[in-house]
Amino acid sequence: MSEFAVRNRLRELRLLRPELTQAALAAACGVTRQTIIALEAEKYSPSLELAFKLARALERNLEDVFQYTEKK
Amino acid sequence: MTKGIRRTQVLLAVAALGAAGMFLGPDGWFGIDIGPVASAVLYGVLWLFVIHLARSPGEVFPETWSQAEKQAWVAVVFMALVSFHVANLLLALPELGAEADRLRNSATRPFWINLGMLIFGWIVIGSMVRKQDADAVQLDERDLRIAHRAARYADGTLALLIVWLVVVLVTLPEQSRTWLRPLIVANVLIALLIARTLAESIYTVWRYRRERA
Repeated sequence: MSEFAVRNRLRELRLLRPELTQAALAAACGVTRQTIIALEAEKYSPSLELAFKLARALERNLEDVFQYTEKK
Repeated sequence: MTKGIRRTQVLLAVAALGAAGMFLGPDGWFGIDIGPVASAVLYGVLWLFVIHLARSPGEVFPETWSQAEKQAWVAVVFMALVSFHVANLLLALPELGAEADRLRNSATRPFWINLGMLIFGWIVIGSMVRKQDADAVQLDERDLRIAHRAARYADGTLALLIVWLVVVLVTLPEQSRTWLRPLIVANVLIALLIARTLAESIYTVWRYRRERA
């Protein structure tokens, strides 16, 4: 049976906006900077609410930021 | 690695030596009682750590650690020290014989003094760490998820320890039951609770480390 995982383009999309540092994104979403680091490294899957907050902060749709794809 | 973190590591290493010296007991080091020197070293190091934390608050812990992870590390260090003291007390009590039945005896007095000092140190250092990054988010969903997992892990550990204790008590031969005095059993139960908290703190720091790797 194939396994699926939540992948994200958080780092890539954040770097498109130079003013949006990890600290600024963390403050906008009400989480610690370390959580943003863990998310960008795909070591942590966010709750649905946090995923929406991140997408909103990046001014993107949820599916632009997060994908549920088969594990390689 | 920054100078501040190196200093933290040196202080931790010296504190571990002090704690080990306290654990060795009166005849532990070539028949010499190094307990008073070791405890002076340990409390001196804790005091130096407070100064280090006050002078360079941003350099004591790695920058990639969240507030909750820093608190978990402080808890691991202090719970390990408390565990050492409880283990020391449990080893000393059976040797006291009937004196172990008294609430105040020669083994428990230094134990309570040391425990009080450690809890005071924990409160001071914990509150100083909490004041760092006071304007930023202190705790978020990831921290809470890790805390929840750590609590579940700790409860499992406590259940295993209780089962182990029950098996030990049931299978203990009649002649080995002389140490089974009410106050010793009470201290063993307190030791189990301390072991649970230590397991929770260790799991927490391990989980943060794993999520960062």
